[in-house]
Amino acid sequence: MSLGPFTRERSQLGIYVQYAVVCLFILAPILWMVEASFKAPTAVTAYPPHLLFSPTLENYATLFETTPFGQYALNSLIVAGGSTLLGLLLGVPAAFAVSYEAITWPATLTLAARMAPGTLFLLPWYILFTALGLVGSHTVLVITHTVITMPLILWVMLPYFDGLPRDILEAARIDGCSPFHMFWRIAVPLVKPGIVVATILAFVFSWNYFLFALVLSGFDSKTLIVAAFNFVGEGATNWGALMAAAVLIALPPLALSLLVQRWLVSGLTAGAVKG
Amino acid sequence: MGTMAFGRSGASTAGWTRRRARFAGTAHWLLVPALAFTLALVVFPFGYTFWLSLNDYQFGHSARFNFGENYAALLHDAVFWQGLGTTFFLYFLSLALQLVLGTYVGLLLNRRLYGQTLARTILMSPFMMPSVVIGMMWLVILDPSLGAANYILGLLGLPPSQWLASPGLVVPVIALIDTWQWTPFVALIIVGGLQALPIEPFEAAFIDGATRWQAFRYVTLPMLRPTLLTAAILRSVDLLRFFDIIYITTQGGPGNASTTLNIYAYRRGFEFFDIGYASAIMIALMALVAIVVLALMRLRRSL
Repeated sequence: MSLGPFTRERSQLGIYVQYAVVCLFILAPILWMVEASFKAPTAVTAYPPHLLFSPTLENYATLFETTPFGQYALNSLIVAGGSTLLGLLLGVPAAFAVSYEAITWPATLTLAARMAPGTLFLLPWYILFTALGLVGSHTVLVITHTVITMPLILWVMLPYFDGLPRDILEAARIDGCSPFHMFWRIAVPLVKPGIVVATILAFVFSWNYFLFALVLSGFDSKTLIVAAFNFVGEGATNWGALMAAAVLIALPPLALSLLVQRWLVSGLTAGAVKG
Repeated sequence: MGTMAFGRSGASTAGWTRRRARFAGTAHWLLVPALAFTLALVVFPFGYTFWLSLNDYQFGHSARFNFGENYAALLHDAVFWQGLGTTFFLYFLSLALQLVLGTYVGLLLNRRLYGQTLARTILMSPFMMPSVVIGMMWLVILDPSLGAANYILGLLGLPPSQWLASPGLVVPVIALIDTWQWTPFVALIIVGGLQALPIEPFEAAFIDGATRWQAFRYVTLPMLRPTLLTAAILRSVDLLRFFDIIYITTQGGPGNASTTLNIYAYRRGFEFFDIGYASAIMIALMALVAIVVLALMRLRRSL
């Protein structure tokens, strides 16, 4: 390929233009949403849309005045935090066992759970948890969201445990170290970075999850996601407040994903790659 | 947790020694909590749904075993067949768009350019945002009377569209929303695949005088097939059970125009409380997802 310096420069420029167009396509709707959240109520529904306007926090104020937004946020925090914690307690030891004992079926089983349509479990859960009087509680949301977080954590942790030097574990075993001691005292401190990635991904997935809370949450345990869905049904008239809610709900997962950006794709494809 | 005692060093009680002897050499028991959880929350409910699917069961009434009647009824249910068609239409359209555009964006990202980190940050935002937010955002943008989308169409001299309110357009529009959200994810998977490719075949191709297109078509694409299949498997799982964005934006409407199988199952179960029948739809959907995913996995293994 003998591309002269001029052609080379021009093709580079062409690539940057394509780059910019792709990024613009992705960003435009998001920027539109953010912009709308700072518009005065009359400006939001103005047609043709205003591109220039004086920004206001009115929509955010309305949101907090007219809805128990803080309570919903707290519910989301409890559910996402709780299911992440429970997912870690169940998933991290399981990942260690799967890796150490080289048995794959438990991991495959949890993967199948991740692939099944969520609706499949919802009817039995609804019947079961109604009988237990748990529908509408935070507990039921923490437990069911763990069905999402636990397999995710298990699969994110697997390569970290697989990467541990076998010698260390074997030496500990020969010295009479119990499996739990081996796991807790030797393996876990070495895979701390993996635990951080798994924790953040699990939290984001649980925070974002819609279906289970749609059916199983109650007045006191409604998550932000379900509350936002209800806003859509109630009053599509107040677009400004709607967009303000959307922005606030999207912020935590976006901020957290930034932290784990490097591991994001490997985390989300974990399981599917090995097949 | 009582098991914390295991981590304490210097413990030498009789109980401690006994326990250590019992568990020495096996880490299997560390699986027990996760397996018990999966059994209770996933395996048992799956079996229960299957059992429900063999019953005539309306919520509040007692269940009556009717063997395969629900499944037989599915075969004569026009909404089920329409839902199956909608599911497949949405699946193929979205998957094709995402694989083609994802490969294109992946190739772009694979170049050594300035601003890579920023581009990647922008790319990951759509698929890390909650589906509810995506749905709300597009509802406002695609609003038939006041939305920005119709304003842009007007600027281009095109007539306004009903978008999500149009029975004919709703599924392609949802496919486009999903493509907007997930193409970046596919692209990032493909960059990973591209960066793992060996350099030699490309050098050989260019020495032999291949054009850029030929190198892509006959070298890159064949070597990228396993990566493309991995992306396809991941997207297939999500697309075949498509629920969130549809339920948030249209609830399956207008009419039944965007009622996928998953939406149909949900509505029969939780809006009409027709539990036996809804379970049969869910089992059928589960079988569909399993068949497609296993076929794709097999295809990838045979490469």
